[in-house]
Amino acid sequence: MKIFLTILLKELVSFFRSFGLVILVIYFFTAEVYVAANGMEIEAKNVAVGVVDKSAGGMSKKILSNLHSPEFQTPKFYKSQKELSDAIYNKDIMVGMIFDEQFEKNYYKNLNPTINILIDSTTASQSLMAIGYIQNILMKFNNLKLPVALKMHKLFNQNADTGLFMGVSELLSVITLLTTILTAIAFVKEKESGTWDIMLLMPVNPKIIILAKSLSQIIIIMLGVTISVGLILFQSLDVPINGNLLNFFILTFFYVATTAGIGLFIAAVSKNIMQISQLSIVIMMPIIFLSGAWTPIYAMHPLLQYISAITPLSYYIEGCESIFFRGTEFIDLLPYFGGVLILGVILYWYGFRKIGKLF
Amino acid sequence: MRLRIVKAYFIKEMIELIRTKMIMMPYLMPLLIVILFGYGIKMQVTGVRTLILDNDNSQISRKLILKFEHSKYFTTTVKNMSEKDALREMKKANIDAIIIIPSSFEKNSLKGVKTEIGVFIDASFPSRATTMSNYIQGVVMDLASDFHIDSSGVININTRNLFNQALRDEEMIVPGLIGMVLLISPAILTALIIAREKEEGTIFNFYSSSVSKLEFLVAKLSAIFFLVSIAIFVIFLVASYLFNLPFRGSFFLFWLASELYVFTALGFGLLVSILASSQIIAMIVTLMLTIIPAFMYSGMIMPISSMSGDAFITAHIYPVMYYNHIIYDTFLIGQGFKSATNISYLLILFTYGVVLFMLGLLFLKKEIK
Repeated sequence: MKIFLTILLKELVSFFRSFGLVILVIYFFTAEVYVAANGMEIEAKNVAVGVVDKSAGGMSKKILSNLHSPEFQTPKFYKSQKELSDAIYNKDIMVGMIFDEQFEKNYYKNLNPTINILIDSTTASQSLMAIGYIQNILMKFNNLKLPVALKMHKLFNQNADTGLFMGVSELLSVITLLTTILTAIAFVKEKESGTWDIMLLMPVNPKIIILAKSLSQIIIIMLGVTISVGLILFQSLDVPINGNLLNFFILTFFYVATTAGIGLFIAAVSKNIMQISQLSIVIMMPIIFLSGAWTPIYAMHPLLQYISAITPLSYYIEGCESIFFRGTEFIDLLPYFGGVLILGVILYWYGFRKIGKLF
Repeated sequence: MRLRIVKAYFIKEMIELIRTKMIMMPYLMPLLIVILFGYGIKMQVTGVRTLILDNDNSQISRKLILKFEHSKYFTTTVKNMSEKDALREMKKANIDAIIIIPSSFEKNSLKGVKTEIGVFIDASFPSRATTMSNYIQGVVMDLASDFHIDSSGVININTRNLFNQALRDEEMIVPGLIGMVLLISPAILTALIIAREKEEGTIFNFYSSSVSKLEFLVAKLSAIFFLVSIAIFVIFLVASYLFNLPFRGSFFLFWLASELYVFTALGFGLLVSILASSQIIAMIVTLMLTIIPAFMYSGMIMPISSMSGDAFITAHIYPVMYYNHIIYDTFLIGQGFKSATNISYLLILFTYGVVLFMLGLLFLKKEIK
């Protein structure tokens, strides 16, 4: 036990001494998460609209005055349809609206006036949303007497604020990436300087050394997570916590241990830090992108769904989303705990075996 | 510049790249990224798992359910359960939307009294939630307009989706991915092969030999340039055959822009490698400098025209946006050399590359600091 603690302490000290790594870890846990939460915007906002208005102008002006921020920019006017489509082809605007000469006349005669809309659909999701907005605006002018009303509730994130979601999922990706890299580096540094073989030959059980070393990295990550959750998620991003924060930390601990297992494996097969970075990119990229952080798993290609079932991150992300946003009770979280734990035991055991072999 | 020496250095670089297996990098990594993202990112929302609680069980409510069932956007289940159980299902992340039809739905709507349909959407994935609510609104409006007899005076909307009629995700994402990988892979490779010499001390061979700075750079960069140039064609084939992208523009423009862009990316890597002292730092700094702009400021996820303020300026500082404009043009739009924007962006890319290369040449020191 004493040996265990000594090695643990030694690892922590040597981590805090390597200035670059400390800066890196702090950067990822704070700035990276913050930037991701504030920078990514998938919703259609500030859409550039171009208009060709050949009608008399009263009605079309009324409609256009409804296109305002945050959804739309002030519409730009073009003289002819040719100019408008040129602007779309050059991507100066995303949506073009054309009011023909008959538009106003038809509107007052109750004759079904038509608006032609051209959309640049190279960014399909935004164009679809923009069309949705325009349709909603036109609904007002139609004064249909509909017998049905929709009462829309967006649960768990009332304003559908992308930042909250992005912040949380970025944190989870950062945890994945850093745990693997830090664990792998802790071992390979010794390999590079040749002290790893000496460590294994010491009259100390190598299992204890490996456990202590990986635990030290887990501690560092957990510290980083605590800082990130407290400072970035809760303080500056105002992420809600509808579930139990303790569940989150327990799940995170299991998950970090799992990922440390991947790190052990990478450390075992690579000889220097360069190889670590290459391998971790090749291994982590698929794990992160198949995890459901970008696209829900059920919406993926069926083959990818099977692959994502064996990545621990997919369970972890779903679990964390449930804890932060959905406020799921512990009993319903068990599948996520189970998934992470089972994969964790396998991965950690495998990495443990691999790294413990001499030469 | 002595060509003989450049050639010798070039061969040495190639042999080193093969021996260190780094030759895989310009092929393996881009393909991995393009395939994973291309299949993985789905912006379009289909198969929304919808649970309908039909408390009315009337003709109209069944008609509404049928409308949901026939739409490809929804996977519907109709169940009889309490709202609380339904909510629990949602908390378990088994369903995305709950639609509750009130018990007096048919009676009221025939009388013309307003009835409210309750819709609950799981918004923990916010952008999807917005889309889902738009879809649901659409379906219900569709039903409502079936009842509405007098449709005179209704403004028709005649929408044309240009460039990507079917609104396929692949057509929207994959060209942007090409812009991403052709920046990341040459930049990292350049940064690494120079930083490695520094780390291992072999850079002293260069310091002490008679090779000039220009020869050194030309040899190193052209080795990578050569490898990535082949990768351009590989990626193009993947995009057109695996993802079935249309190609509407000129291939020459695509090729020219890609080569210029790769040249710019090499400049990026070069600058990083001059500042970085070790491979790991070079790698991390390059990744940080390239991934974020390639994703967020490239026009792939968010159109440049809807950016404002800082984001708009940042997007114009990085080269990714210019290349992506051209590449979306060649794949989807097809204006080619006729468009003045394309040509000016091509020139910007060229200038960008030259400036970065010059800066690299200027700051590269042929001596110990």
